[in-house]
Amino acid sequence: MHFKISKNLWLVAPAAIMVAILFLYPLCFSLYSAITLDNGSFTLEHLHTSFELYSNDILFTILIVLISVILLALLSTIIAALIVLSPFRSVVLILGVLYRLPLFIPFIVTAQMMRTFLAKNGLMNNAFIASGLMTPMDTVSFLGWSGIIITFVWKQLAFSTLLITGAMSALDESQIRAARNLGASRFKILTQIILPQIFPTLGVAMVLSTVTMMSVLSVPLMIGTGTPTMISADMAFRVNSYGDYHVANALGLVSYAICAGLAWFYLRHSLKDKGATA
Amino acid sequence: MFTKTKIAVLAAVGIAQFTSFAQAETVLNVASAGGQNMVDYVKTYLAPKFEAMHPGVKVNIIGTGPGDAGSHKILEKLSAQQSSNLAKWDIDVAVVHQKIGGQMVSEGLLAKYRSEIDTGKLVSRDSAKNALGTNVEGYVMPMFHSQTAIAYNSDFVTTPPKSYDELVTWTKKHPKAFGYNGIKNGMSGVSFVTGWIYAYGTDAKTLSSKPYNKDVESNWGEAFAKLKAFNKNITFTPGNAGTLDMLNRGEIFMGPVWVDMFYSWKEQGKIPPSMKLALIAPGMPGQPMYYVTPTKAAHPELARQFIELATSPKVQAEGIVKRFNWYPGIDAKYVKSELDSATWNKLFAEITPEDLSQYGKSFPIASYFDDIKEGYERQVSN
Repeated sequence: MHFKISKNLWLVAPAAIMVAILFLYPLCFSLYSAITLDNGSFTLEHLHTSFELYSNDILFTILIVLISVILLALLSTIIAALIVLSPFRSVVLILGVLYRLPLFIPFIVTAQMMRTFLAKNGLMNNAFIASGLMTPMDTVSFLGWSGIIITFVWKQLAFSTLLITGAMSALDESQIRAARNLGASRFKILTQIILPQIFPTLGVAMVLSTVTMMSVLSVPLMIGTGTPTMISADMAFRVNSYGDYHVANALGLVSYAICAGLAWFYLRHSLKDKGATA
Repeated sequence: MFTKTKIAVLAAVGIAQFTSFAQAETVLNVASAGGQNMVDYVKTYLAPKFEAMHPGVKVNIIGTGPGDAGSHKILEKLSAQQSSNLAKWDIDVAVVHQKIGGQMVSEGLLAKYRSEIDTGKLVSRDSAKNALGTNVEGYVMPMFHSQTAIAYNSDFVTTPPKSYDELVTWTKKHPKAFGYNGIKNGMSGVSFVTGWIYAYGTDAKTLSSKPYNKDVESNWGEAFAKLKAFNKNITFTPGNAGTLDMLNRGEIFMGPVWVDMFYSWKEQGKIPPSMKLALIAPGMPGQPMYYVTPTKAAHPELARQFIELATSPKVQAEGIVKRFNWYPGIDAKYVKSELDSATWNKLFAEITPEDLSQYGKSFPIASYFDDIKEGYERQVSN
């Protein structure tokens, strides 16, 4: 028995060591650097600077991420529901291919694409003008906060739809058939049978998407214009421009806190659900 | 199980041996900060030339990334090798920015080599002696000089502004037609803001030389307030390339750009020929990149020969001026004779050598530079 445990430990060791070296150590180090001076003594100065200079950006980041996540939840649920419930199989097939496309396109490519697509005289507006729907005077540039949201939603849609469609198709089909037999409409099946059961998966998709959006640098740098901007751009600026890792890490601490807040909200919710059904 | 491991170990050892054989020729390590175009310049233009002249030598190029951050990585590496007392450092030639170049000299990381190479005496620019307040005489060779200026669409702007004052009046008349990229999305915006402080805060001469005086910054309140008001009349662009993109699409008609990037884009047809440049008073900053070689480079002789080739009038004319539209690092009069007049005129057509010497400023010393950027964050964008 003893032999077996030590053998198991050996099996876990490589993975555990990798996590410790490549993740836990840098994490602790960045947290430590956020709240200490160069000589190692404790300080709140860096956090103070972060809030003094970047409080608008922090708010901006939270808003952008929240709006994106809400849009994302709505859109991906609708697409997933269409795929699972639609009677038109050919439409479903096309949709099934289309929604997966963004999955294979890196963020930076997406950002570059959107930059030429959403600009004032970009592809989208030019298409509208060419089709006579708009005049050149009416065009508006979407580069800025709206562009960032559009890019995030477009890119993350594939991932969250994939998770949600998976969860929806894994449900026991007899429930849906039973509901249908009793005369429930498709909308009712979605809201009363499917959604309550896939809620945990939806939560996972949203929390993971939030973390991804918080960490993307290319999108705010390439699509965001001027101020306010997202925290990740500020962190890059602190490091590249001042060589100031302390304030960058303090901003990192703020973004951990935002993610942790969301994770806590999600965990509390899902645990409560589990407690209620048990 | 054990035999399998043994085989794996043997295979690994075998491969290691093989790779060490493959690298038996001399390798000259060149680390270059700056954008991909600079790495490409060394990789596709300089390295093949040097390898052809020195059989058995292979040039290995490492790009460390754009901006001061890229130079900083080279500094960190050399400084780590210095503090661990290594006899030979693994970078032979480095291309670094002005600010970090000065810092490397004061930390004793660089060799004083300029008098040992033939092209050393062809240098005339002040930035070869003084890097933002640090005396670097003898330690650096300028690779090229790059300059920021205001680009404008001459189809719509017939009389371009000649000074910051005229620019402010122009943007009041034409709201949103001027665009720049703030200070977080690239150096052309930073440069524009620095020029603003030279115009309305403290003059370039004081800010580009030591000693540093923290109190100077307190006079900039009005300049920043004015900039905040100015920012309401303009369009923000996403980055150095973003400004050129928007100029090209006709979304803005004027904006600060890097001169070399501007000419390259024009040549590639990415911006229309109607785009022109103006360097406005009291001036906008530009900066050189330096060739340096560390004190304990593994191949000091080859490193010197490499820099000598790179700063020879022929290479400066062909590579720096003709191919990349940069201003030469060595004195322009040695380069002119190597070039046809068309290329020469193209480089100086819109910004004359007189404009350049009058309005081409350096960046401020590091501490003032940080003050400008923090002041902007605190008082303009906050």
